[in-house]
Amino acid sequence: MIKTIFFLLLLFCLSCSSDNITRSEKADFYNIYKDIIIRKPAVSLTREKKEAKVYNREWLSKFKQPIILLASEDGENTATLVALGNYRNKLTWVSADGISLSFENGILIATRGYSQDLMEVKYNDLDKLFTQNVLNRFKIYRFLDGKNEYKELTFSCFVKAKKNIYSYFLGLSLKTTKYTEICEAGDIRHTNEYYVLPDTNIVLKSKQWVSEVNGYVIIYNYYAFQNNIL
Amino acid sequence: MFSYRVFIFLKFFISFSLIGINSGNAREEIYETPKILNTYGMPGIIDTPTAEVFPEGQFSVSSSIFGGTIRTNLSFQVTDGVTVSFRYSRIPSASGDHSGYFWDRSFDFHYLFNDQTNYLPSIAIGLRDFIGTGLYTGEYLVATKNLTKNIKISGGLGWGRLSGKNNKANIFGLSNERYAFSHGYGGTIHSKHFFSGTNSPFFSLSYNASPRLEIIAEMSSDDYDMEVSTLRGFERRNDINFGFKYEIARGFSVMGKLMHGDAVGLSGVLALNPRNSPYKSGIEPAPMPLLDNKTLMETQSLMDNDVFFRSAELLELDGIILLAMNIDNKFVNIEILDRNYLNVSQMIGRVARILSKTVPLSVEFFKIILVDYQSSYSVSQIIVERESLRKFELAFDGPAKLWQNVEIQNSSSGINANFNLTDSPATWSIYPDVEIMLFDPHSPINGSLGWEATLSYRLRNSTVINSSIKQPILTALDDIKRGPKSGLPNVRSDFMFYYRDISTRPYISSLTIDQYYKPFKNFYGQINFGYLEMMYAGIRAEAIWKDIKKPYGIGLDLASINKRNTYGDFSILSNSYSTIIGTLYYDLQSDWSIQLDAGRYLAGDYGATFSLSKTFNNGWEIGAYATLTDVKFSTFGEGSFDKGITLKAPLSWFTGKKSQVYRKTIIKPITGDGGARLILEDNKFLYSNIAKYDEKSFRDNWNRVFR
Repeated sequence: MIKTIFFLLLLFCLSCSSDNITRSEKADFYNIYKDIIIRKPAVSLTREKKEAKVYNREWLSKFKQPIILLASEDGENTATLVALGNYRNKLTWVSADGISLSFENGILIATRGYSQDLMEVKYNDLDKLFTQNVLNRFKIYRFLDGKNEYKELTFSCFVKAKKNIYSYFLGLSLKTTKYTEICEAGDIRHTNEYYVLPDTNIVLKSKQWVSEVNGYVIIYNYYAFQNNIL
Repeated sequence: MFSYRVFIFLKFFISFSLIGINSGNAREEIYETPKILNTYGMPGIIDTPTAEVFPEGQFSVSSSIFGGTIRTNLSFQVTDGVTVSFRYSRIPSASGDHSGYFWDRSFDFHYLFNDQTNYLPSIAIGLRDFIGTGLYTGEYLVATKNLTKNIKISGGLGWGRLSGKNNKANIFGLSNERYAFSHGYGGTIHSKHFFSGTNSPFFSLSYNASPRLEIIAEMSSDDYDMEVSTLRGFERRNDINFGFKYEIARGFSVMGKLMHGDAVGLSGVLALNPRNSPYKSGIEPAPMPLLDNKTLMETQSLMDNDVFFRSAELLELDGIILLAMNIDNKFVNIEILDRNYLNVSQMIGRVARILSKTVPLSVEFFKIILVDYQSSYSVSQIIVERESLRKFELAFDGPAKLWQNVEIQNSSSGINANFNLTDSPATWSIYPDVEIMLFDPHSPINGSLGWEATLSYRLRNSTVINSSIKQPILTALDDIKRGPKSGLPNVRSDFMFYYRDISTRPYISSLTIDQYYKPFKNFYGQINFGYLEMMYAGIRAEAIWKDIKKPYGIGLDLASINKRNTYGDFSILSNSYSTIIGTLYYDLQSDWSIQLDAGRYLAGDYGATFSLSKTFNNGWEIGAYATLTDVKFSTFGEGSFDKGITLKAPLSWFTGKKSQVYRKTIIKPITGDGGARLILEDNKFLYSNIAKYDEKSFRDNWNRVFR
């Protein structure tokens, strides 16, 4: 019996294939069992440990491409995203490990590769968000369920603005207007925050809700600094 | 008399419902409710049922043990109101035919008429063990109401086995004698006994002590007549069962119980819902973003000048092989081969995005021809308008708007000439192999563990040699006690001789030359020649007609075969057989697909197989089939006819990554000779391989085109 068990273990270790697809499929198959034993979170944002990294102009100058910095809500994890897509005011930023976030006027409109992706967003007045001080508004978030059908959340939102908030970016203290967007769809609520350069649509920093699974992400728009807007 | 009793019965339900207090509130979507299962794998408390259902699509595996009884159940919530369950049980009995036990298969059905409201309870009807030998046969009507958010009560009336104790006169005015019937060889439906005989009330109460812990109690009317007749069972001291249910993790719960004041028991439930993927919309890396013209020109100026090369390079990063490319004015025509994406819409979205980045701006349409890896022919092609792709990429309702600007067509005939993989034509693999066999009363769970080596060699584009050699290392399958059935040629029921003689020796599981054809548009064919499966060798031909725009297809499957030697070597026996089976496939526009096979089966019997499957758009399929032929039930023997449950689970659902791999399991209660066919690997059947490229497949999953 010991010989048999040894032979089986040896066989397990020697399992292989000349075909890449077969190999990765078998590995995935075994990983399912492994994941059952060692439970993993559905997705982890990051990828870059925040090892006391100093985010200043010197750090930013190393990047030759436009970048934004993405951070988890607790600030523990961060990822740098580069701009890889643009079409009609819609910018798509991609992280090194394949998560992409798309924005329109600084507002998150889609994610990809992020487990419960925000597939589509409908705003009734996206362009007015940062031009009026208080606004009641609606927005629809769409996700995909397991049958590739839409799971739709219609949020009723209240937006309020607070002017002359000083925020710190890359060692600079800047005067911004803070917009707080409080949204509700049944039991699901979120509060987004946008720090906007006064009298513009330029969002310097924001905290935006992605989905029930992913929660919030914090976005630092360093692109504005690279572009010498400031 | 009858109407008066019905009136009393309705009054019971109405008065019961008036106890109710509003407990309704907004609910978030719940996909798995393992705590709702009773020991029969159906909605209930411990033994008694409740008027509840699982979330639609929930698939549960549960097992329960107490007082010598073991019940293992597979349950499925077919629709919002219909729950079904298949059970394999060990029942202690003085007359038990296997060492004082019966090993019994049974099916249950449960239908919820209505959800509970502020004042009215939910009401459900159920049939227990309505197909088969009827050891658990019983029917019930039950009502359930939440008194508060945490307290739930249920009550109902049971017939049959559920009227063993505290029985009263039949409320429908029927005879108080249960209608007796002969179950014959089992496996058939009898209905005359439904709701006949006396009926007994049952009640249950549950209290949610915490979100995970539920304290439960019930008064059960089941007298456990057989179980108390033997020392292997238990003593029924009273009508009351107590217990608790605890949800250990999402979809996994346990139940501890004290049955009738004597037997302590334990149950475990594992529930999953194909609608609720653990990785939601997946964790494959994001697709290539789209660019405006100015940025695109800048980007293309930095890329390789060879459009084919730069496109192939980017496609390869996504696991897609570019076979050919031809730019013709406003069109780029490409032929691609994909072995990774289960979802063709998502794959097409990615291919179109890459083409947007690599082909010159003068190209306005992408014509993408999808070539099948296995057969080298193309089933369908799709034309995508370039500007629409960009315009709707991040738009609300983008996929629906893009759908208006794509065209899906049937591909032309012939085998793809550009199919030329850069790697060696040979592929091989060696992996552990597990085989499990259920429902043998002498050893209900049996199996073997060993290795399987596969070798595949592509002789030509459409000609492949496929082989599989297996060796069980640790096996119990060589000691199956059952013998073959009598009455028909032993075409399948003598399978145990193969396992016995192979034992732990290596054997040829299959060795075939497979030739694929596409002689006409929408017409597909294959010929398999060689050692087709463990028990048979010979030649098989299959032809399918399928238009990708039609929901149906037809097929013909012919085989002329000989029995193989039971040692699994190259030798062939003289017993020859043939099958001729015509098939109608129909993909219903909802989540259902049906298949009707008819013709001559292996044992020379004529008949038909009806299969029904619920599909989930994500690769999951749960279905059932039954084969009725001109073989008499008495000749078929135990089980009366061939039937089974099919379960198909995609790997991508579990990993969140792209993969076309799936595991298919067929749960067959009985293996007989009537209605038997060749047992071939799933990829030897053409239809599913063709249907995955049809218009419905694109349409149903089109929401993923931008994923």
